[in-house]
Amino acid sequence: MKQSLNWVGKRVKRIDGPEKVTGELKYMTDYHFENMAWGKVLRAKYPFAKIHSIHTEKARQLPGVICVLTHEDIPGFNGFGIVVPDQPVLASDIVRCTGDAVALVAAETQEIAEQALRLIEVEYEPLEAVTDAEQAMAETAPKLHPDGNIHSHVKIKNGDTEKAFKEADIIIENTFYSPRQMHAFIETEGGWGVMDEEGLITIRCPGQYAYRDRMQIARALAYNPERIRVISSPIGGAFGGKDEITVQIYLALLAMNTNGRPVKIHLSREESVIAGIKRHPFKVQMRTAAKNDGTLLANEVRAVADTGAYASLGGAVIALAIEHSCGPYKIPNVNLEGFCVYTNNGISGAFRGFGVNQVCIGIETHLDMIAEELQMDPIDIRKKNVYHQGEHSSLGHVVKTSVGTYKTLEVAEHCDLWKNRSQYKQEASEPWKKRGVALATSFHGIGMGIGLPDYGSATIELLADGTFLVAVGCEEIGGGNGTAYAQVAAEILNCDISRIKIVQGDTAKTLDGGTVTASRSTYTGGRAVAAAAPNMIKLLTSAVADILQVPLSDVIVQRGCLTAKEEYVTYEEIYEYLFNRHKPTKVEGHFLLPKEKAEIKGSGGAPHHLYGYLTHVVMVEVDTLTGETEVLRVVSIPDAGIVINPQGLEGQAEGGAVMGIGYTLYEDVIIEDGFHKTRNFTDYIIPTIRETPVIETFPVEDEEQTGPFGAKGIGEVVMIPIIPAIMSAIYDATGARIYQLPATPERIFNALKNEKKQNALHAR
Amino acid sequence: MLVSEIDIITPQTVNDCLLILSSHETEHRLIAGGTDAVVRMKEGKWRPSTWINIKRLKELRYIKEKNGTIHIGPLTTHTDIIHSPLLQKKANVLVEAAREVGAVQMQNMGTIGGNIGTASPAGDTIPALYVLDATIELQSLNTKRLIPINQFFIGPGRTIMKQNEMITNIIIQPQAENEVGIFQKLGPRKAQSISIVNVAIMLSMAKDRKCLEGKIAFGSVAPTIVRAKKCEALLPLSPLTDDIIENIAKVAWKEVMPITDGRATAEYRRDMASALLKRGLYRLMKRWENK
Repeated sequence: MKQSLNWVGKRVKRIDGPEKVTGELKYMTDYHFENMAWGKVLRAKYPFAKIHSIHTEKARQLPGVICVLTHEDIPGFNGFGIVVPDQPVLASDIVRCTGDAVALVAAETQEIAEQALRLIEVEYEPLEAVTDAEQAMAETAPKLHPDGNIHSHVKIKNGDTEKAFKEADIIIENTFYSPRQMHAFIETEGGWGVMDEEGLITIRCPGQYAYRDRMQIARALAYNPERIRVISSPIGGAFGGKDEITVQIYLALLAMNTNGRPVKIHLSREESVIAGIKRHPFKVQMRTAAKNDGTLLANEVRAVADTGAYASLGGAVIALAIEHSCGPYKIPNVNLEGFCVYTNNGISGAFRGFGVNQVCIGIETHLDMIAEELQMDPIDIRKKNVYHQGEHSSLGHVVKTSVGTYKTLEVAEHCDLWKNRSQYKQEASEPWKKRGVALATSFHGIGMGIGLPDYGSATIELLADGTFLVAVGCEEIGGGNGTAYAQVAAEILNCDISRIKIVQGDTAKTLDGGTVTASRSTYTGGRAVAAAAPNMIKLLTSAVADILQVPLSDVIVQRGCLTAKEEYVTYEEIYEYLFNRHKPTKVEGHFLLPKEKAEIKGSGGAPHHLYGYLTHVVMVEVDTLTGETEVLRVVSIPDAGIVINPQGLEGQAEGGAVMGIGYTLYEDVIIEDGFHKTRNFTDYIIPTIRETPVIETFPVEDEEQTGPFGAKGIGEVVMIPIIPAIMSAIYDATGARIYQLPATPERIFNALKNEKKQNALHAR
Repeated sequence: MLVSEIDIITPQTVNDCLLILSSHETEHRLIAGGTDAVVRMKEGKWRPSTWINIKRLKELRYIKEKNGTIHIGPLTTHTDIIHSPLLQKKANVLVEAAREVGAVQMQNMGTIGGNIGTASPAGDTIPALYVLDATIELQSLNTKRLIPINQFFIGPGRTIMKQNEMITNIIIQPQAENEVGIFQKLGPRKAQSISIVNVAIMLSMAKDRKCLEGKIAFGSVAPTIVRAKKCEALLPLSPLTDDIIENIAKVAWKEVMPITDGRATAEYRRDMASALLKRGLYRLMKRWENK
């Protein structure tokens, strides 16, 4: 089947590649206008405090200030939040984290706006900050929200864990801690807004779901959403960090108060660190039981997620974490629970991996520990326990869609790095450097879970110059989904890809097609394009039948044109014909994502119908003198269904691997007593090109029947198994286990020291 | 002071600059590459009423040999240092240190004079200048004085330089044929990082692994750069075998007085002083044996 395709499965170059590489592309925060006003946000002075009064007179009087807004100036509902709108647009009586917005200013220059912020007088009464998620759950803890500090509690139970643990030959129990990772997108949160004379509000602000942003703006403004246009693409990086509202509502409020002048907000990195959402730090307690032959018997998990001051998507994150906490394995007895807890530690929300990163380190480390104790091969123990298509997962449901784990493990087994690992491990360059090789496997749900509508839609319009404008709601987030849409469209329309133009993320130009999150946009958007394209074929063929006065059945879709009875009709001619007769030139395509029928009770949306799978093999070198760890090689083996664009897949696999390296070894936003100690990229350490290893990508193509040309999503799982793989490779190299991330040189050094002490004790 | 209100003056000659420094009544600051100054201006820490932009004073950008010493102009960039054949041959420890400063962009803009003037305890070029016995030449309109580098710094961000003075020359002692030097840095990652601990080592070698004399300077483990005199005293005692290196390195933690900050704890820094010294000496011996 693949051989006969012209575009799908080919290394088609990025349609937006040249303008991005040359820097020609303007992101929305790159725009400047002559008459533009600058907006700034006053953030809370304390992580937790009552507000007694806000006085803005002095700020208003400062020359060059256009407007100063507080909660009193919000026409509609003072709150936002994708699931529960518990975050105030502008705080009125209380602030719950230092990222809280208290007032807005628009001024002639950034500097004047900053000065004006300093002139706003806010009288606070500081409260005792809640800074530890476990302590926040205690009855005695100060409450951030009326319903208490536990935002959500999810549970999954299957089988009989009590009995299984009694019968087990091996039981492993550990606690894992994971960091507050920052998305660290190049383009910080920002954009601009303008309101025209007729009251039409346009917000240009990178976001991951323009239609939902529009609804949230409309709710706060008490404004007809049809009178608001949101343009949300292209995005200078998001990774989940622009899933929630960032500055869209501020822009809209200011735009209503600047007399028609465009107003721009662009957060400094420092403000982005404080105000932007982060990955949830987790504490994961896990107890795993196995038989002597390596069969997993039971798993108990208790996970606590620090969601910070507001819910955002925290409830969904903990639900997805618990759903994935047993890995892609069939463990017959499980008892899993997760808590999503409010604290005054900033705000946590969506981030690539969505909770799976934090739990997969538990189950994968435990598999390695069990394998080691049983002297089993780490691949064999995984092969023995993975579920296959049609089998029951650990959650107890039958997985009906494609499952590639076993195949990815086979590829891992035969890759050069794994086969020749003993040789590579001996090649360390200096006597105190130790090398280790390890692997891990994981999975990630595609699309929303049960209970959330999940749909895709696309339009295709024939233009006068004979090109097709393909419009998909899902934004260009950097991953190249637009190129995949173009490939799908060109494939079905049977034309050259240069004839496809793509527009994304614009409520005036695209239909609502859902989010660009949840590893869903290639799969969902691709399917929507694949649904629209046959409608365009119909439109073209019936036009040609009319033009040539032949029966429909005589019209043949050829490469780049249509023919009938040896006569050619070009797309341009078809357009002219339709245009002159005022006939439609645009078609739609819609797609509803398949779902599981029954939700696992109390799980918050599990199971997913569809998962992507991936195995990582890594080699690290640890400097045992200092604890510095370098990842030297990575093999990424994704099961993404049939690959639409190998180059795009490699891009995801490589970027994901590097982000996983950053998470494992370097990154953490440190917050103490509710205040950020990490301020910018000076102390938030992300990998550079010098920390980037050789990365090989070997996809296994397990066709997914429901996907566009057999594809499924991959955007998140590409950064997941590498995390426990690196941890395990450090152990393989040094004998020291890491339970807390990031594994900084100091933590590794201390683990080595402890390991030495332990050995010394044993020797005595 | 708002950024938009800050003046900038660009003197054309050193003399002009000294004149401005002596006559200026308002608060002023020198700016060269700006890799520190601009950051601090942004943070609101440095908001002088006038920036004196000396980046274009070409007469202060040079690397030359003079009377058996090497003179480096304060406006010499880290990239100039990295690419200088003279320094590669006779002050490789400084070349290695310059290579570890930030990233290429910062190396292109940042100057050695700026690195000294900023007086960060974590500054990468400073330990190298310590083991090269650097002398800093300070000039004002009417005076010129030469300060040994170990007397130049008072504490983090503070030097003995007066408001009317500027650095006009950095004089170092070239490495002899039997001298080998190395710079070791531990940061939170390989590029673009601020040192957790760094160390510069210079050894004067006799036959095999016999060391005649050595200099060791640690950065980021005390309020200023510190020489590890106890370790230095141990270097000539016996040939630097791997075992002896290990023993000398163990002494290093007694020479340092680090603090805990966002990058590392004091305890780790102490351990790392020993670790970097061991790693450095080991690598130096390999280098010496291959010379």
